[in-house]
Amino acid sequence: MGAAERIGQFTLDNGLRLVTAPASTGQVAAVNLWYGVGSRHEVPGRTGFAHLFEHLMFQGSGNVAKAEHFDVVERLGGDINASTSTDRTNYFETVPTHALDLILWLEADRLASLREGMTQEVLDNQRDVVKNERRQRYDNQPYGTALERILRLAYPEGHPYHHPTIGSMADLDAADLDYVKSFHKAHYGPDNCVLTVVSDLEPEDVLARVEKFFGAVPARDALPEVPDASLNSSLGGPVRDAVTETVPAPGVFVGFRVPAYGTREFDVLHLASAVLGQGQGSRLYRDLVVDRPIAADDGGAAADILPFRYTDSLLLVNMLAREGVSGDELEQAVRKTIAELAGGVTEEELDRARAVLELDHLQSISGPSGLADSLSSCAQLFDDPALAYTWPDRWSDITAEEVRAAAERLLVDDNVLVVRFDPETSEAPAAL
Amino acid sequence: MSQTRPELGAPASFTFPRPQRVDVGAGTVVAIDVPGQLLVSLRLVHQHGAALEPLDAMGVSLLTSEVLEDGPDGNSSLAPALERHGAEWNSRVTWDAFVTGLDVPVNRLNQAVGLFSEAVRRPALDADDILRRREQLVERFWLGSASAQTLAMRSVGGQLFTGRYGTPLAGGPGKLGAVTPEQVASFHGDTLASTAGTLVVVGDLTGVDLSELGKRVFGDTSASRERDLTTPAPPPGELPRVVVVDRPGSVQSALVIAQRVPSRKEVDLPRAEGVSEILGGMFTSRLNMELRERLGYTYGAGSGFDLRRDTGVFLMSTQVEADTTAHSITSSLEQVNELRDGGVTEQELQTVRESNTVGLPVSYSTARSMAGALVDMVVHDLPDDHVDRQRAGYEKLTRESLDSAAQEYLHPEQAVVVVAGDAERLRGPLGETGVGPVEVVDPETLWA
Repeated sequence: MGAAERIGQFTLDNGLRLVTAPASTGQVAAVNLWYGVGSRHEVPGRTGFAHLFEHLMFQGSGNVAKAEHFDVVERLGGDINASTSTDRTNYFETVPTHALDLILWLEADRLASLREGMTQEVLDNQRDVVKNERRQRYDNQPYGTALERILRLAYPEGHPYHHPTIGSMADLDAADLDYVKSFHKAHYGPDNCVLTVVSDLEPEDVLARVEKFFGAVPARDALPEVPDASLNSSLGGPVRDAVTETVPAPGVFVGFRVPAYGTREFDVLHLASAVLGQGQGSRLYRDLVVDRPIAADDGGAAADILPFRYTDSLLLVNMLAREGVSGDELEQAVRKTIAELAGGVTEEELDRARAVLELDHLQSISGPSGLADSLSSCAQLFDDPALAYTWPDRWSDITAEEVRAAAERLLVDDNVLVVRFDPETSEAPAAL
Repeated sequence: MSQTRPELGAPASFTFPRPQRVDVGAGTVVAIDVPGQLLVSLRLVHQHGAALEPLDAMGVSLLTSEVLEDGPDGNSSLAPALERHGAEWNSRVTWDAFVTGLDVPVNRLNQAVGLFSEAVRRPALDADDILRRREQLVERFWLGSASAQTLAMRSVGGQLFTGRYGTPLAGGPGKLGAVTPEQVASFHGDTLASTAGTLVVVGDLTGVDLSELGKRVFGDTSASRERDLTTPAPPPGELPRVVVVDRPGSVQSALVIAQRVPSRKEVDLPRAEGVSEILGGMFTSRLNMELRERLGYTYGAGSGFDLRRDTGVFLMSTQVEADTTAHSITSSLEQVNELRDGGVTEQELQTVRESNTVGLPVSYSTARSMAGALVDMVVHDLPDDHVDRQRAGYEKLTRESLDSAAQEYLHPEQAVVVVAGDAERLRGPLGETGVGPVEVVDPETLWA
C-alpha cells in the first residue's frame, strides 16, 4: 500500500478534522495543529495580534500553569514550537508515543480554556518578548525590514496582507486583555482546526484518543468576519522603496504578484522561481554569481515564492552586491535575467527545477514533524492531506512553454516591486 | 472540557540501531537501514578539521570545501549536475572534521554516488575557481558579521585562545584572503584525495550494496595518519573582562559569555550537558525563564558546550534590548552563581534525566539525525553503542553529581563577556556592573 493510501481522515461532531499517518521510525508521535487563523485576520490597529496570541498559548490555561506545557514536552525529550503566518497558526510537538495522550490533553486544555489562564502580567511579559523578537529579526538585522517593505508595496493600504505577521511596535503596545480573550473566542474552536498525528499507532486508536480529549470542546458560536483579501487592481508597477541605512552591501529585493497558492499557475511560477534562482544551476546563480560575478554567493537561494492561499502570492528575488558593485548595476542585471525568462526555458532547465523542488519537498516530509505539518497544511488549505505525498506530481506535466508564457505575462514591469537597500555612505566600513 | 490530566504510562525502551560496518579497502562503510525512509543521507567523514590547519593557511579547509562544489569539470559545475539527480551536496568543516556528503532519493543513489566520489577525490581545483571562491568567502565573512549575533560569536575565539582557535573557523578575512591555490591543492591532496575516510549511510537500504558503494567511494585510497593535538594557550588579559565589539546604532546587544572547559574526551558528557541544559539548554531553563519569561528582555537565552578533541568552550548567549544589556549580563552571571552555590532542584534533575532517556526516539526520528550521530561517533572515535552508553549515564545522574558538575565546569570568574552593540551607549553601564575591565574593539581590526 502506498503512503498516501495509509492516511486516515476523520471529522469529529464538533468539526475538528483529524488526519493520521504512519511514521517511518518507531516509538514516536508527532502532533500538529493548524488553526485557520493568521495575520490576514487582523484589522488595522491590531497588527501582530495573531502572532502575539501564539505566544500566549504557551502561558497557561485552565488546568496548566505558565511554562508547564514547555516543561512537560522538554521533560520527555520532545520537540515543541509554534509559528504564525498570514494564513494560519500551527502548534506542534514530537514526543515518545507513550506521551501522546498527555499532549492531546494539553492541546485540548488550551483550546478549551486558555481564557481562564490569561492575566495582564502574562500579556505584558509576552508583549516585551515579542517586541524583542521584532528587534532581533527585523530592526537589528541588516535588511531585516525587507519583507515588511515588500508587503507594503505589494498589497494596498487596508489589505490584510499589507502588514507582516510580527506587526508594529505601536499596535503591540495597544494590545489589551479583553481583546486577547475575544480573539481566542473568535478563532480558536475545534471547527477551525486540523489535528494531525503521525505515529505507529492504528488510525482508530488515535481517533479514540482524540475523541476522548477534544470531543467535548464545543465548536465556535459564530464565525468571525474575515477581512476582504481580494485585489481589484494590478500592482501598477514598477513600485519601489529605496532605503539608505547601515547595511554591509547594496541589497536588491524584487517581487512580483503571482496567482494564489493551490492554482496550477502558482505551480508554474514555482518552477519559474526554481529555474531563476533555486540551486547553483539556476540562471541568477550562473549569470550573476559565477559568470559575471557581481552578486554575493548565496549558494543558489536567490528566488523564492511566498505561498498565499487567499490572495495573490509573491515571487521574490533577493541578491546582495559584491564589493565595488553598485546597487543600480546589480538591480539592472537581476531584472534583466528575470526578464529573459520570457524568451524561453529549456527542457534541461525545467528538469533540474523539478528535481530541486522535489528534493526540497522530500526533505520537508522526511521526519515525522515535517510530515505532520505538511499533512495539516494540505488538509486545512486544500481539504486533501494526500497532497503531502503527491505534491511533486503537480510539476510533472507543466511544460517549458507554460513557464515561458507565465513569465512573459507576469514577470513584467507593471507587476514588479523593488526594495533597494544602499549603505549610508560610500566610505562606510565594510564590517558595519 | 472535563477530562482529567492523563498519567504518563511507562515509556518503551529504546536502543539506538546498531550500525552495520563493512570494511572496503582502506575505508569503512557504517550504515543504518531505515525502511520507508526514501531520502538517503550519505556522509564521508575525514578526521581532519580546521584545528589542524597551519597558521599560514587558516581557512584552507573551508575554502577547499567550497571549491569542491566546482566539481571535476570546474566552474561551479558540481551542484547543477547533482541537482539534476535530485541530490543535494552537503559539505561541512568543523574544528575536528571535514565532512562531505549528499542527501539523495534512494532511487537515484547509484548515479549520484559516482558524481560524489569524483567530486571529492578528483576535483578540477582550477586556480580561477579558487580565487573566485576565496573572494566570495571573504566578502561573505563581512556580510555575515553585519549580524550582531554572528559578530559576537566570531569574536569569542580570540578572547579565549592563541593559535588556530584565536581566529574564526572561516579563517578571518585577512588570513583567508591570503590562502593560495597551491595551498588548496596541497591540502586536498594530503587529506581528501588520498585518504579513505569513513562513509556513513542512513536511509531505506533495501537493494543497496554497501560493499559496492564503498568501492566506488574509497577506490585505492589509503588509511589516514594519526595526528597529534596540543591544547592551545589562552591569550593574556585579566579575567573576567568585558569586550564590546562596537556596532553603532544597535537597538539590541548580542551577548556571549564564554569560558574555556576541558576537551570532549575529558568532559563527563551527561553531567556537563545536564548542568548546561538546566542553566540554558531548554525553554524552561533558568536563563530563559529569567531573561525572557520574567524580565522580558529578550526573545530567547541559552547556553551550551562547544567541545573539541583538544579543548572546549562553554558559552551563554542571548540578544537583548540595548538598555537592558548591563542588567542582562549581571543577571546571567547571577544565574550561574546560584546554580553553583545552591545546586539543582529535584525537578531539574528529573527533567534532564528523562529528556535524555525517554526522548531518544524523538532525537533519532530522521535519517539526518541518525547520520549526524554516526558522524559524531566517527569523528570522536566513539563505540557503536555510544548513544546507549550516554543514556545509561543520564539514568545514573543524581543531584549530587550535577551539583559537582556545576562546580567543575562553570567558572564565571574565568569568563569573557563579549558584547556586540553600541559602545557609546553601553560603555558607562557596563563599567558600573563591576564585572571586570571594559575594552572596546573595532570589528575591522579583529581579523586583519
